[in-house]
Amino acid sequence: MLRVFVLIGFTYLFLHLHATGDISKYINMKYSYISESAIYIFVLFTIISVYNYVKKDKHSHDVACDQCGHDHSHEENSWWKRGLTIITLLIPVITGLILPVATLDSNIVEKKGLYFPAYDEDDEYSQHQFLQPNTSSYYGKEGYAEVMDKGLDKIKNLKEITLGEDNFLNDLETIYNYPGEFMGRQVTITGFSYHEEDLTNNQLFLLRFGIIHCIADAGVFGMLLDIPEEMKADNDQWLQVTGKLETIYYQPFKKTIPILKVTDWKSINQPNDPYVYRQY
Amino acid sequence: MNVETLLQLNTIFISIIIEALPFILIGVLISGIIQIFVSEELIAKIIPKNPILAILSASLVGSIIPACECGIIPITRRLILKGVPVPASIAFMLTGPIINPVVIFSTYVAFGNSWRMVILRSVLALICSILVGLILHKAVKQSPLKNNVIEHIHFHSFKERIDAMFKHSIDEFFSVGKYLVIGSFIAAAVQTFVKTSTLVSIGTGQASSHLVMMGLGFILSLCSQADAFVAASFRNSFSEGSILAFLIFGPMLDIKNTLMLLSTFKAKFVMLLTGVITAIVFLVTIFL
Repeated sequence: MLRVFVLIGFTYLFLHLHATGDISKYINMKYSYISESAIYIFVLFTIISVYNYVKKDKHSHDVACDQCGHDHSHEENSWWKRGLTIITLLIPVITGLILPVATLDSNIVEKKGLYFPAYDEDDEYSQHQFLQPNTSSYYGKEGYAEVMDKGLDKIKNLKEITLGEDNFLNDLETIYNYPGEFMGRQVTITGFSYHEEDLTNNQLFLLRFGIIHCIADAGVFGMLLDIPEEMKADNDQWLQVTGKLETIYYQPFKKTIPILKVTDWKSINQPNDPYVYRQY
Repeated sequence: MNVETLLQLNTIFISIIIEALPFILIGVLISGIIQIFVSEELIAKIIPKNPILAILSASLVGSIIPACECGIIPITRRLILKGVPVPASIAFMLTGPIINPVVIFSTYVAFGNSWRMVILRSVLALICSILVGLILHKAVKQSPLKNNVIEHIHFHSFKERIDAMFKHSIDEFFSVGKYLVIGSFIAAAVQTFVKTSTLVSIGTGQASSHLVMMGLGFILSLCSQADAFVAASFRNSFSEGSILAFLIFGPMLDIKNTLMLLSTFKAKFVMLLTGVITAIVFLVTIFL
């Protein structure tokens, strides 16, 4: 009977997340059909368990099992082991339903931070990964160049580039790949601020978490800002900034990276969807 | 540590479970189907008598089955119970999560629409799983399963079969599900509390960078469909070989599937398997 509760619990958890839309705070919605299909399987499992439970009441349990070849070999016999299984499985159902969904913030940036000392090994190619989306040094050069060229063509002639939610990762990647093309260009970007020891007083990172599949695999992407003196921002303060694109040799990354010289900025509320998602 | 951190831990924990559960459900359903609809006789007929050929063919079958590293464990257990030799079953288990359409596609995209990493990853994974199978063939004489009650079943009707199939699937869900929960929790805790940079700072040499990337693959416990993107983000500070070690080792062993392995196999066998996989993946990728 307790098993039925667990199955109902999981069914309800998945249904609840889909119904409230909170599911997008856990996974990339491109894959929502996968967790949707889980709902159907859970419903099916629940119905069958209830049916079996009711049926079991009618028949003598032992006799029924011997006849139909049910596999009880891996069912724990002791009641406390069974109880432990049920409790363990109920934990995510309960915490998933009652605890509020947290948003990844600078605390996670610090943990995921990816401040690899390995840059020193080969200066020429080393760059900081966590700012720069996707690219690869292992791509077949032509195929990759083609993809990148498309991205470049898309925004090359724009006077102003706005890194919104849909194009954030793609356009950011293009800018990192062709910083020369975008020198002096006006760029608007939204994200949360992040201070880092190596930064000078007039520098700040503006970041967003990019999600591939679920938030366990989220990475941090964004841009270094050169901020005016009067501008102040704490960690995790959401900002929309506009500025001119320049480049800077950034010692900790041992690389020249784009930097946005901020001319306009405003504090904003955290967007409804704080994450950006990888589009194939 | 504050409340917000704990909530983040919970959120990552739930997200790993939401991501993995659908694949576990599919895994236990396939396991149920095998249990009821595939007979021992059929398996005995299909699997080559020669143990080496059996390992080779099982690896290849694994590469067509689209399963993830958690979902494939119930299937593997079922195959062993149905009489597939252990080395061949394990070879199947190791290629399944790495060589399948979804993973190939995501690896292709993650590494800038190039086939190079896809081919290296698939071919090396195949080589690793065959080598692991061969070693197990020499090393394992007894059944490594915790329970290996072989049941001989005869059914009277199709409905009875379907009934039994679901009964098996649900049983299996409960027996592996709790290990998924525990594993996901540990993985989420590691992500919330341990700085990746601490681990990475351990190894920058050639051998140590391979071990570090394998360690990362283990503790991050990413689904094999998503890990290529994370791997791609390491490409500038790590060699191609060590990134391949991450891409091959991660889907074969990680926190959550090791716990699930412990639910199915004897602890001694899991230790042996962990050692063999670690050594093989390390050696194969370092000599690349």
